Amino acid sequence: MYIIVVGGGKIGYYLAKKLHQDNHTVSLIEKDREICRMITNELDILVINGDWCSLSSLEAAGAERADVVAAVTGSDEDNLVICQLAKEKFHLSRTVGMVNDPKNEYSFNELGVDVAVNSTGIIAKIIEEEVSLDDFVNLATFKKGKLALIRIDLPDDSPVIGKEIKNLNLPADSILLSVIRGSQVLIPRSDTILQLQDEVVALTSIEKEQDLLHALLGAH
Amino acid sequence: MYIIIIGCGRVGAQLSQLLQKEGHNIVVVDQKKSAFDRLGKRFNGLTIGGDGSDLAILKEAGIEKADALVVVTDSDKSNIMIAQIGQKIFKVPKAIARIYEPDLAEVYRGFGLNIISGTMLIAARIRDHIIESHLSSYLTESGSLGVLDIPVSSKLEGKKVGEVNVPGEFLVVTLRKNDHPVIPSLDSILEKGSFILGVVRIKSLRQVKKKLGVE
Repeated sequence: MYIIVVGGGKIGYYLAKKLHQDNHTVSLIEKDREICRMITNELDILVINGDWCSLSSLEAAGAERADVVAAVTGSDEDNLVICQLAKEKFHLSRTVGMVNDPKNEYSFNELGVDVAVNSTGIIAKIIEEEVSLDDFVNLATFKKGKLALIRIDLPDDSPVIGKEIKNLNLPADSILLSVIRGSQVLIPRSDTILQLQDEVVALTSIEKEQDLLHALLGAH
Repeated sequence: MYIIIIGCGRVGAQLSQLLQKEGHNIVVVDQKKSAFDRLGKRFNGLTIGGDGSDLAILKEAGIEKADALVVVTDSDKSNIMIAQIGQKIFKVPKAIARIYEPDLAEVYRGFGLNIISGTMLIAARIRDHIIESHLSSYLTESGSLGVLDIPVSSKLEGKKVGEVNVPGEFLVVTLRKNDHPVIPSLDSILEKGSFILGVVRIKSLRQVKKKLGVE
């Protein structure tokens, strides 16, 4: 794929590096000349030194034949404008915009960014998971909040302990993805039996999240 | 009208005072509360310190009942984003954004956003003060029509307005004598010492100036 990364900060740099390693064609737009020089020295990709939000930068980066634009600057307003220019002026079908301030996520979705990545929210979620003492943690949401990935520590009195997965009465639109047992990560099968101290990771629709928690946690 | 103004810089403050004097309900939003000093002591509209792209701040400002949203912060991209939030999320009947960068202004005008962009107009006007005498301003942002401000030359003295007009190229709209402007009829006589204000097609500027006896 041909991917244009806009913004040469830490995220833009590592994203471009990773995509390049994965054999994608990558070009990067950055407004700071020094940063451009640094990236040019380290990565074998096309680097454009220019305004993030200008048609001429996008054109120079090859927007006319690109498949995806990822706008990952530190400014949400810039990221929005970059995605809109890419979509409307160069007809890119997939635009990814990083949201630095979580309150802008809704606006990004409403104003035509195909995928809004709420970086601050994601990091906060991960940290929350690490510090959380709750029985369950919402790890991530997908599809504009319609799907949730959750991790649940099964309490000792959980009604599912000792049961085979096929006999669990889980709500529709939810699925167990993995069982974490000590240092082992198991992909659950229908005859896997849940044990004391197990953690499970599940994918569920938002509507069924509470039902799923109730099924796994019992009265908690 | 109920009008929300985002950005209390020189333009935002001036506009707020202007509209309030005309009796409109004004709410001004700016990130820096100190910016509201520009509004002066007599301003009694509502001021809110906060980020104008924050939906909660916009709701607090009453965007759901606003007739117009004007976005004049010093960042083009913020203006674009906030005006679109007004237009597309809250369906404000009139959402207007000021954009400095002419290319961005053109693109977003094409997307159907209501854009005010003075950069080209001001640059063109300064250019004309240097290069073209008598052209006082452009009438349209595209620069196809302008306003010509010329003294009545000896060549024109005693002629009627109707004789000076050139269909499709030049139209006299005001005669000014001693700072007293009047809207003339076709039969008004051009007097010595007065000035003509007329609309001119920029493409015909040189021919028209020659015909009127000015350089």
